[in-house]
Amino acid sequence: MNNVFTRHKWEPYIWILPSVLLMLIFVVFPIGIVFRLAFSEISRAGVVGQFIGFQNFIDAVSAPVFPTVMLNTLIWVVSVVGLSTLIGFIAAMVLNQEFHGRKIARSIMVFPWAASLVIQASVWNYIIKMEYGNLNNILLNLGFIKSAVNWRSAYQIEFIWECAVGIIVTIPFVTFTVLSGLQSIDVSYYEAATVDGASFRQKLFNVTLPLVKPSLTVSTVLNIIYVFNSFPIIYTITKGAPANKTDTMVTYLYMLAFYDQRKGPATALSVIGFLILCIASGIYMMAAMRKEESL
Amino acid sequence: MKKLLTLVLALAMMLCAFSFAQADDITLDVIIAQYGPNTQDWFLGTGMNGTSFKAKFEEVNPGIKLNLEVVSWNDLYTVVSTRISNNNAPDILNIDTFSDYANEGLLLPVSDYCPETLFADFFPSFIQESVIDGTVWAVPDLASARALYYNTDLLREAGVEAVPETWAELEDAAQAIVDYYSGEVYPWGIDMTTDEGQAAFAYYTWANNGGFVDENGEWALNSDANVEAIEYALSLVKNGFTNPNPATQTRYDLQDMFGAGKLAMVIAPNSVPAYIAGKGFDNVNFATASIPHNEGASSSSVGVMDRIMAFRDDSADQAARNEAIGKFLTFFYDPENYVGWVSMEGFLPAVNSAVGALVASDPSFEAWLSVLDSAKFYPTTKAEWNDVKQGVIAVEQSALTGGDVRTLLNDLQAKVTGK
Repeated sequence: MNNVFTRHKWEPYIWILPSVLLMLIFVVFPIGIVFRLAFSEISRAGVVGQFIGFQNFIDAVSAPVFPTVMLNTLIWVVSVVGLSTLIGFIAAMVLNQEFHGRKIARSIMVFPWAASLVIQASVWNYIIKMEYGNLNNILLNLGFIKSAVNWRSAYQIEFIWECAVGIIVTIPFVTFTVLSGLQSIDVSYYEAATVDGASFRQKLFNVTLPLVKPSLTVSTVLNIIYVFNSFPIIYTITKGAPANKTDTMVTYLYMLAFYDQRKGPATALSVIGFLILCIASGIYMMAAMRKEESL
Repeated sequence: MKKLLTLVLALAMMLCAFSFAQADDITLDVIIAQYGPNTQDWFLGTGMNGTSFKAKFEEVNPGIKLNLEVVSWNDLYTVVSTRISNNNAPDILNIDTFSDYANEGLLLPVSDYCPETLFADFFPSFIQESVIDGTVWAVPDLASARALYYNTDLLREAGVEAVPETWAELEDAAQAIVDYYSGEVYPWGIDMTTDEGQAAFAYYTWANNGGFVDENGEWALNSDANVEAIEYALSLVKNGFTNPNPATQTRYDLQDMFGAGKLAMVIAPNSVPAYIAGKGFDNVNFATASIPHNEGASSSSVGVMDRIMAFRDDSADQAARNEAIGKFLTFFYDPENYVGWVSMEGFLPAVNSAVGALVASDPSFEAWLSVLDSAKFYPTTKAEWNDVKQGVIAVEQSALTGGDVRTLLNDLQAKVTGK
């Protein structure tokens, strides 16, 4: 009896031990190193020197391009997460309906997600090439334009394009998370609502949304983290050019570390990014959970 | 229990066997930059007459093992600095810049490991580019020189009789090409990307008697000549004479456009014919000329050089290690090996002993070698070089979006010199 009791007590911990070890080695330990580096002097060649307090943070934040980069990061995260969540939600509603070819539609939806982000970014980059890009070719052949258009004539347009690519590649993730939430809703709720004479709007806001909220919360929190840390799209399309005007925090700190050889401020920035993400995700999750409790 | 004991014994024996085999060997950690599609194959595959550099070296030099890695330029700086941060610097490194490593005391002086006969074989003007405070810290592995490439057919059809030599002639030629092809062909290629925007700075400022440094070797980024040169380059962009997006179109994009007959003139390295042939562009007729300069200034070619350097390692057998590094260099620069290496990717040699064989195999080398003789190099020995390199790219890109060149260069000069 005693034996069984001891086993049951320890068994779960043994089962989760490998994952905990992996997390410690590959997540917690590197984060610790980054925190240490952020407060250390790092030479241009990469030699780690003495503790210098917040100097790296001061250097990072006082750089003239820092406000631009932070504003870009904000626009990037809000527009990509916001619009991909909205469009993904609508797509999930559509895919949740019964119609012919629904399975095909769902597979088409998941295709972009299956391709590597670098490949997708390269393809979208190629599409807007002025000289031999597909967009110009199609428009020229259809007769909408007379000569090739330079789609990258201003960095603002390039940044909008990058956001658009970000939205397109993020939609499948939102769609499938929300779709799984929608499928777990019991049909009887809708039947009852229909019997009571509820309109589409009422069903959407009073039945669907509250019940799908846990999936939406998960997808939004994960999305904020993914999109904030997303590197391939901007690095592939503009590399932050011209003069950091299309950089977000992640691409900027990469360029700072490995092009400018200023690893101290770059590490400090990554610590700032980590803290921003912790706070943003924390606030969102707390808000979402509080609403859930009050339901 | 028995099983466990057997396992432990077996492991112990394996470890012993391993350490015995290693006891007398020196292993050199070598990082080589990936110059092109053949680099990996030459060093580690079968690209060296059916064998690899590594295999052949280890055969000729028993007792020295190579732990050789070929790393792409995209990842090279990341790999090296990460390894240095982890106290795991390579023994031998092939990269472009060396001053940061030398200034921080990470490198061995070349005289510690390079045999004298080999050292005497390097072009002296190349060795001078790797000297800080009288000490040579690296040896050149190869070089490339830049010149103006022009598409002969495009220029002739547009009615451009002579290749432009001055900036004014360049503008006239560009206007003629714009008029004739009405936008289908870009007259002039400019790369102001983070990939190699510093080259554009050199092309225009050196052609206007300006440059990164003054005659005393002090930073002179905001000189009047430089301001005029960069404003001239920008005027080419604003007048529609160039590729449309200089901030994101790299030299490779330009070389592709040139090969495809979409770009009439571009300043590019001597490896362009090999590049164009490798890409399968076979309808393009081109020739080379000097880089156009401003009226009253002289044209100078731009030389780019990469290096091999050895890192300090405070282990006990420094003498044996130095000797092994010397053997590596001797083997690498042996004409039998080196000529194949340099010609494979279309570069120019750094040692005298290779010249004869290279000219015999490709007579065009001779002309390039004389270009290289008069070429100017980036001031890579100066400690602030990396800041300057990134800084001039940022100046160019900011100016493209409307910034004032003089203000931007003044700011950069102040930042670099701390004044």
